[in-house]
Amino acid sequence: MIVNARVSIVLMLATLVVSLVLMLVPLPTLIAPFRPAFYTMTVLFWAANQPQRFGLLAAWLAGVVMDILYTTPLSEHGLAMAVATYALIKVRGWLWTMPVVQQTLLIAPILVAYEFVLFWVDGVAGLDVAPSWRWLPVISSTLLWPAWAYLLERIAEFEVE
Amino acid sequence: MLGLSDDDKPRVLGRRVAPGLAIVLIAIASIGVMMLDNNSNRLDRVRDALSVVVQPVQMAAEWPGRALGYLDRYFNRGALIRENDQLRQKNLLLQGRLQRLAALEAENERIRALLASASALDQNVLIARILSVSPDPYRQYVKLNKGSTDGVFVGQALIDAHGIMGQVTNVSPLSSRAILISDPNNGVPVEINRTGLQTIAQGTGHSEELTLPFLPNNADVQVGDLLVSSGLGGRYPADYPVARVTAVNHRPGGDFLDVTAAPTAELDRGREALLVWSTHQQSSDTDGADGADPADSETSSDADDNDADDTQ
Repeated sequence: MIVNARVSIVLMLATLVVSLVLMLVPLPTLIAPFRPAFYTMTVLFWAANQPQRFGLLAAWLAGVVMDILYTTPLSEHGLAMAVATYALIKVRGWLWTMPVVQQTLLIAPILVAYEFVLFWVDGVAGLDVAPSWRWLPVISSTLLWPAWAYLLERIAEFEVE
Repeated sequence: MLGLSDDDKPRVLGRRVAPGLAIVLIAIASIGVMMLDNNSNRLDRVRDALSVVVQPVQMAAEWPGRALGYLDRYFNRGALIRENDQLRQKNLLLQGRLQRLAALEAENERIRALLASASALDQNVLIARILSVSPDPYRQYVKLNKGSTDGVFVGQALIDAHGIMGQVTNVSPLSSRAILISDPNNGVPVEINRTGLQTIAQGTGHSEELTLPFLPNNADVQVGDLLVSSGLGGRYPADYPVARVTAVNHRPGGDFLDVTAAPTAELDRGREALLVWSTHQQSSDTDGADGADPADSETSSDADDNDADDTQ
């Protein structure tokens, strides 16, 4: 379900920071490629739920923060986030009228677009990327999306009440 | 719900614009910023400033691992005591060797003095914790928890217990970033320990492999040869192990040997590393003299180019 009420900026920032930490926590090499894109999912969630306050520019800034932590070319993740958010804005109208399974199927191509931008920039910048690091997160994030969106909804509702 | 109401449109610089236009503007700006960031170091200051702002996030990401470590120590007293015993023995052994080393160092110093050559044996070390082996493992970088406030400077060499790991390329006040020897943009001047033959070990992008692209076909190199840093270029300290030759292939008709080597340092496993520098090196660095060093430019490393600009 969509959260209609205005959610405070503090809450949005807090969830973003927590998901960013989840992206950075060191994982064993075997599991690491499977790490879901928590941060991207959170950005997409707020872009879908709070379009008045969390738009393309906010998504881009969120991506730049990631670039600094990942030491990737500045605005590589920024561009990917903005592109994914743009795709989300396009489908937002029907996203929340759908049952969870279809919602998730709609999120998957958006995540593919996100990873594709990263893949493309890596290619142009001459960085040798193991492809599994780009497509495994799409699978794990898609599987996790229903639970993650549900969790964020509950947090948002809790604050609104 | 299909069409966007005016209120839903994204804002750029305070004005509501159609999302299509906004994404085009953002894409153009992003590509511009990426090109600027990739081809020059003009944005390094921005990056440094912002990296201080996001430092707490980086530190928060460290907690789970550290908490596990503490728990482990708390519950594994037995293992800790055993480890302590082992370390004690090892320390004794190393102390014993060190006694001999002190005498050798003094002798070396005297002989160097006789030869009237500059002595650069006095080396300082700083222990740094590896905050993150870059989250994308194909990028051969590590982030360290020591920054310019601890006296870290660009060009400092990074070693671990087994050999040379890399060199510092970016320094912000509280952290720094080091390029590993396995990065394709990094070359280490080395010599083959057995013969003293000088060459350069180039990274390949894989942490288990370096290549030696500049060895002529008749060069004396064998599988198992140890490569130690030659100290040419003034970037890496001399005589530290760098890699061990794993394969030597003669390419029929080729001018050069196909030689690969495995780094001796544990590039993708360590938690701690040593920053080493000689007092002599730091002073020459602040003069910005290293940019003119021919052996340095021979390594054709991006990192070197950057820091030459930085120091001037």
